[in-house]
Amino acid sequence: MIIALLQKVHNKCFNRFWNPFIVLLLAGVFAAFYFGLTGTLWAVTGEFTRWGGNLLQLFDVDTSDWAYFKEIKLIGEPVDRTDGWLVMGMLLGSLFSALISKNFKWKFPRQKRRWVWGFIGGVIAGFGTRLAMGCNLAAFFTGLPQFSLHAWFFIAGTAIGTYFGVKLAVLPVFKGKPKLEFGLRPAKTASPSAQKQNKQLYAAFVVLIIIILIAAYYISAGKAMLGMAALFGAVFGMLIQRGQICFTSGLRDLWLTGRGTLGKAIIAGMAVQTVGTAIFIFKGIAPVVHWASPGAFIGGILFGVGIVIAGGCETGWMYRITEGQVQFIAVGAGNVAGATLLAYGWDHWGVFDVFVKGWPEVNLVSSLGWGGALLSTGAFLVVLYLLIIWRENWYTRKIAVKSTLPSKKTTA
Amino acid sequence: MAENFVVDATLDVRGESCPYPELYTLEAIEKLEDGKILEVIADCPQSFINVPASCKRHGHHVLSTVKDGTTLYYYIQVCK
Repeated sequence: MIIALLQKVHNKCFNRFWNPFIVLLLAGVFAAFYFGLTGTLWAVTGEFTRWGGNLLQLFDVDTSDWAYFKEIKLIGEPVDRTDGWLVMGMLLGSLFSALISKNFKWKFPRQKRRWVWGFIGGVIAGFGTRLAMGCNLAAFFTGLPQFSLHAWFFIAGTAIGTYFGVKLAVLPVFKGKPKLEFGLRPAKTASPSAQKQNKQLYAAFVVLIIIILIAAYYISAGKAMLGMAALFGAVFGMLIQRGQICFTSGLRDLWLTGRGTLGKAIIAGMAVQTVGTAIFIFKGIAPVVHWASPGAFIGGILFGVGIVIAGGCETGWMYRITEGQVQFIAVGAGNVAGATLLAYGWDHWGVFDVFVKGWPEVNLVSSLGWGGALLSTGAFLVVLYLLIIWRENWYTRKIAVKSTLPSKKTTA
Repeated sequence: MAENFVVDATLDVRGESCPYPELYTLEAIEKLEDGKILEVIADCPQSFINVPASCKRHGHHVLSTVKDGTTLYYYIQVCK
């Protein structure tokens, strides 16, 4: 009885992906509460940069005078930081999710170019995000609801960047050749061997227990923040895997195939989250605001180009790795390398002086008041939503025109 | 559900990740004539959403989807 019930629940929850709207609304609510409880954001690339710093320290590189590491507070190791546990929690959470849904499979790219472009795209995206002080999270999904103007610049930059990224990604050198064979073949019929993946379920429970133990350990050891970060991370990881929340896809597919479902869901998630963060900020929690500089806009463009070339953004590669797609190790390594490169160039190459210095950290609440901040953020989201609908309709018309052309030819 | 039909071409995108499963599928469809059936073999979870959605959007019929473990087989009839 119980097993049958469990199977029914499992079938209902994990046999198909979750509706991205529901997932992103939930992610928005959780992100607002994470901010309310910890005062920090759901963010990942700041931590990737610190990983780069920690890695350099392992090789006896003295990073103590790097201005960027002072800015993002490179202290201790990943296990000592809330952001560190947030990232590790995300990886564990999405691994749990991939296993329990039986989505895990080792996948190696058939074409070697994927490794190369994954790494190069990862470097460009990693460099861009840190120039902008945040990726598709802290300068986008969780950045806009902080009423920080830099997220507006980053979102605009990312939209432009992904457009050019798509122009590149369809070129033969990026695209490569598919394995297409012509010739008659019988279709596959439904296979009865659906039960053979049960090992993944056992592995999923092991991962779940690890997550619970980590959280319980830190909470009982008086480091509740670290435990909470791991738990929230696990929830975020699970959500992005179950909803296949790929920000790259959300933006790229608008340009490439005119699909806007994910883009609209991302906007809905930001809208809900904005209400939540507004309440917490109103109650006295300091918002996280960064420089509204040309760096945020240019960083967005670089990020947009990079994620399309790489095939995944900073959150996308995380859940894809836990599904067994090994090429995304190259993307992750590229992200860390690119972010570390920016951290070095920040003061050593004068990146800060050229792109960021002198630009203010614009907090819309303090500069426009509550009414102005809420209205302008709401209007910005509505405009983005309308732009997506416009793009979808434009593409639908394009398909319609294309499909009528050949029939005209035949009748003529 | 699974009828016995014969496919005219097979596109194997196992190991590829998005956007390429979707792009390759649309391009393969371009090379086929009206009424022909394309088999797409995919194992990237994102493509489980993108490939059928894009085929339907372009007016082609997704005849059936067969799941074998973590691999999906799509049967798409080209409509031109």
